[in-house]
Amino acid sequence: MKFVFFHLMPYPYLPDDFDSKHPSPSLTFPNRFFDPQLGNQLYHRYLDELEHADTLGFDGIGVNEHHQTAYGLMPSPNIMAAALARRTQNAQIMVLGNAIGIRGNPLRVAEEIAMLDHLTNGRLASGFVRGIGWEHFAHSIDPTRSRDRFTEAHDLIIKAWTSDELFQWISPNYEYRYVNIWPRPLQKPHPPIYIPGAGSTETMKFVAEKRYTYMSVYAPSRVVRRWFDTYRQAAGELGYVPHPEKIGLSIPIYVAETDERAHREARPHLMWLFHRGLKQGPEIMFPPGYMTQSSMRGLLMAGMKPFPELTYEEIISEGYAIVGSPDSVANRIGELQEELGFGLIIGLFSIGDITHEQTVTSMELFAGHVIPAVRSLGAEVPEAVPAGT
Amino acid sequence: MANETVVREEFLDMPGGRVHVLRGGTGAPLLFLHAAGGAGQWLQYHELLARRFEVIAPDHPGFGGSDDFPEVEGMDDLVYHYLDVLARLGLERPHVVGASFGGWLAAELAVHTPDAVGSLVLLSAAGLRIPEHPIADLFLMTPPQLAAALFHDMSKASAVFPPDPDVDTILAAYRDMAGLARFSWAPFLCNPKLERRLHRITAPTLVVWPSEDKLVPIAHGHRYAELIPNAAFAQVENCGHAMYFERPEEFAEITTEFLAMGAELSGASR
Repeated sequence: MKFVFFHLMPYPYLPDDFDSKHPSPSLTFPNRFFDPQLGNQLYHRYLDELEHADTLGFDGIGVNEHHQTAYGLMPSPNIMAAALARRTQNAQIMVLGNAIGIRGNPLRVAEEIAMLDHLTNGRLASGFVRGIGWEHFAHSIDPTRSRDRFTEAHDLIIKAWTSDELFQWISPNYEYRYVNIWPRPLQKPHPPIYIPGAGSTETMKFVAEKRYTYMSVYAPSRVVRRWFDTYRQAAGELGYVPHPEKIGLSIPIYVAETDERAHREARPHLMWLFHRGLKQGPEIMFPPGYMTQSSMRGLLMAGMKPFPELTYEEIISEGYAIVGSPDSVANRIGELQEELGFGLIIGLFSIGDITHEQTVTSMELFAGHVIPAVRSLGAEVPEAVPAGT
Repeated sequence: MANETVVREEFLDMPGGRVHVLRGGTGAPLLFLHAAGGAGQWLQYHELLARRFEVIAPDHPGFGGSDDFPEVEGMDDLVYHYLDVLARLGLERPHVVGASFGGWLAAELAVHTPDAVGSLVLLSAAGLRIPEHPIADLFLMTPPQLAAALFHDMSKASAVFPPDPDVDTILAAYRDMAGLARFSWAPFLCNPKLERRLHRITAPTLVVWPSEDKLVPIAHGHRYAELIPNAAFAQVENCGHAMYFERPEEFAEITTEFLAMGAELSGASR
């Protein structure tokens, strides 16, 4: 199993009346609530945590892209990756991912990732996402074109990285008469690709066809199970069984010395994440046409509670998060691994409004005691595909 | 009010897919271009118009019972689509009545091919960009917020916004909104070039606006009336943007009176 220390870089200092006055921390939550002094400290604290994860032996350190939100302060994940490139040694630097669908100029992503691949000496992993619903409002991108833009931008970027001849690119949403990027990436044929998915079968088929890594987003394990099964099924239809390390579980994790202490300490911060950070209504999450009719039907039928309605007990019991002593967390990962068949954990340790000290304690316990205990899980392709696929 | 008109449901086979059409009444032909909501619905407003006109109400691509027509990507394509629909229906100079998004479309059609429109009625039409009077962002509204933005008399809203919609109803509404987004996400519900082209319109034109329009500010109505040659302007008091959902009799009466009066003048014909 591989372990990623993933960061969202949230802005935790919300006003006292946030819960009653503001429908969401995103899009329309006024940026007057961003205090530049506090924000400045946060960036350096969060980068310190990512760098510390490298020294602790995490296999990867991950950043992502969000716009106009207190949920995450990384409009440009590539800038964060650049900040980490020469201050870390071993961990893969994972941009999970660039929202290529909402980039006006996706060729710029091909160029930046190629540069980062050199700055990291080939430690870069490149995730691609469409961009979340509200970001189509924020960057004036027609959500009905979101999937086409994503697919076209992806194809353009891969071709820009791998072609050794100048070419012309013409697709419905992009036209480039001269594609000839300098530099080319260091890794051959290009940095590994990671694609997060939230249950869309179109995405699963795409990831399976390209043999990329499929990552979940925050959801209960019964739902993640269905996503991973469908992904494995899509791969099966193409005649192969994906390596477990090509299946990534994204999940918040908190470790303390005892179960009692872990739950007591984690509770308010998980509640911040699910009740404040993830307070995003369907009108901003799923703008018209962002979801296909079939994916929207699947979502409506899945019957998932809105995040702000989850109780702490549901967050734990339904597998939205892992909390406990090192032994308990290792056991829980074992259970989930058996149920879901993943070989990659993308752990969120800096949860919501958690302190730096708590984050460091939790990640150190995880690296020191949990990783060694579960390292061997999910390292091999299973002989039989898990039941139910 | 009981329907007195026999309403016929038709599908037009076009090269890019099928267009769903409701048709009823007799008289001069009247092409009705629906708003973001209302595709595939024969409402009291249509029924009242059908007493004097042959009302022909197609669903736009991606709306109601019409196919997606993915190649109809923007308003310019939509205008060509409707020129094809008019030809397919054998209509040369029908009256054209458009509401909200459909009003924008009607104005674009009359700008593009002035001779194709016998007379024109714009009901709280989108389409203009007036930065100091922005159109409200209906894409960002929750269903209760949208209902409040559309209706002045909230007691009329429940017919349009059922309290507990089933999955199919939600998906149909999501599809209609996706149809709208395709033509109007950015630039938002407008064509910045439309304003300077309105002088091309030759059809007798009536611009109608509800007094309490919280979606498309009435300044847009005044701008249309000012820039379309010889356009008349009428206001319906105590009514929201939902217009003929909210006050069908008034809207039908104003529309009918104008079209009947102007019919000979305009030369509206098949």
